[in-house]
Amino acid sequence: MRFLAVALAVARKDVRCELRGRELLPALVQFVVLALVIANFAFDVDLVQGPRLSPGILWLVLVFAGLVAFGRAFAGEKDSGSLEAVLLTPAGATAVFAGKTIAAAAMLVACEAVLLPAMAVFLGSPISPLVVATVLLATIGMAALGCLFAALAAQTRARELLLPVLALPIWVPFVVVGGRAVQLAMAGQSPSALPLASQPLLVLADFDILFLVVACLAARFVLDD
Amino acid sequence: MSTAAVRAVSLVQRFGPHVALGPLDLELPAGARLAVLGGNGAGKTTLLRMLATAARPASGRLEVLGLDAVRQRDRLRARLGHLGHQVGLYPALTALENLEFFAELHGLGRPAAADALALVRLDARAGARAERLSRGQQQRLALARALLHRPELLVLDEPDASLDAEGRALLAGLFAGRTVVMATHDTALAREVCDRALLLRAGRAAGDPWTLRVVGAEG
Repeated sequence: MRFLAVALAVARKDVRCELRGRELLPALVQFVVLALVIANFAFDVDLVQGPRLSPGILWLVLVFAGLVAFGRAFAGEKDSGSLEAVLLTPAGATAVFAGKTIAAAAMLVACEAVLLPAMAVFLGSPISPLVVATVLLATIGMAALGCLFAALAAQTRARELLLPVLALPIWVPFVVVGGRAVQLAMAGQSPSALPLASQPLLVLADFDILFLVVACLAARFVLDD
Repeated sequence: MSTAAVRAVSLVQRFGPHVALGPLDLELPAGARLAVLGGNGAGKTTLLRMLATAARPASGRLEVLGLDAVRQRDRLRARLGHLGHQVGLYPALTALENLEFFAELHGLGRPAAADALALVRLDARAGARAERLSRGQQQRLALARALLHRPELLVLDEPDASLDAEGRALLAGLFAGRTVVMATHDTALAREVCDRALLLRAGRAAGDPWTLRVVGAEG
């Protein structure tokens, strides 16, 4: 119970700071919309090609938006000294990490709330509940790993370079399985295609559990040692 | 286990090949108020960070409030109040919200936050965002955070930084009845609020902290 209370307090504080400061979210939303506009022109997308290219564009935008969202999770607080003040309370590094992961994931979900409708408008992508479920499931695992590496990178001077180098290779399973799931979901218009499309979702759920546990176990050593 | 508030035996801190502190022996009884003095790079912040469990010693033994400062740091943190070089506040949150957040981390209720704010006489600015407070008021707010959970030991790195005369007068009252280890460059303040001093030179104690009741001019 104490773990959950601390995690929720940290997440609430991060979201409140972001809503008041408006440093990250407006920039991320702009990035998402601009990336889609550029993709639209770069691939010369029409309504026929759009749905075929959509899964690739979706994951490209998500991965880069995630790098920005998670990269900020620890860096600012590390520089201002507030992270140390938090870690020197009896709250526990793992609970603090969990809270920051929840807040960073919420930030990415807010981006996705703009990204998916924008894809339907710009690329004519068929956005179904299955696509939404896939993206949300991938967000959980990506946030856990992204925040872990962001915490690690925040200790270094080359943090902007280090985070992509560490996170991108580890995110590959999410991109591969998530890409396949979105492909199947967007192609599967008939109800018979649903079981096939939901298989990757189970794999994504497995990844989430695995990486959440690993990230929480490693967080204490990254943050507090 | 010792009953002294702080007991350091051959305490050493290294950064690469550079020995930043030690070997240092120190014993501080409960209720004592120790001023740590010394020039820049003397090892004051290094010592305070180890006492506050923010850094692990390279070697030696450190007991704080009867607990091992490395192996039992989780338990120790509930009994320590720390103020570092940086105020470490959340600029977008109000003064009261900053303290309420830390009260939650300590498992305390909201009244503890309001009480701590009143303690540093910032209750009139409770609703002001931390970024809109003056530097001295931010320092007071950070002090309130260190006092929030009524710690047995206060570890403060230059708590007088940016404080006006009223704020400095406040320190003496806040320290009453507590064990304090405080780094400062201000020898006059050290004389006023502390009852003993430890002078550091190049990471080593210059003199005996027990007998240095009158603070030297160095630092």
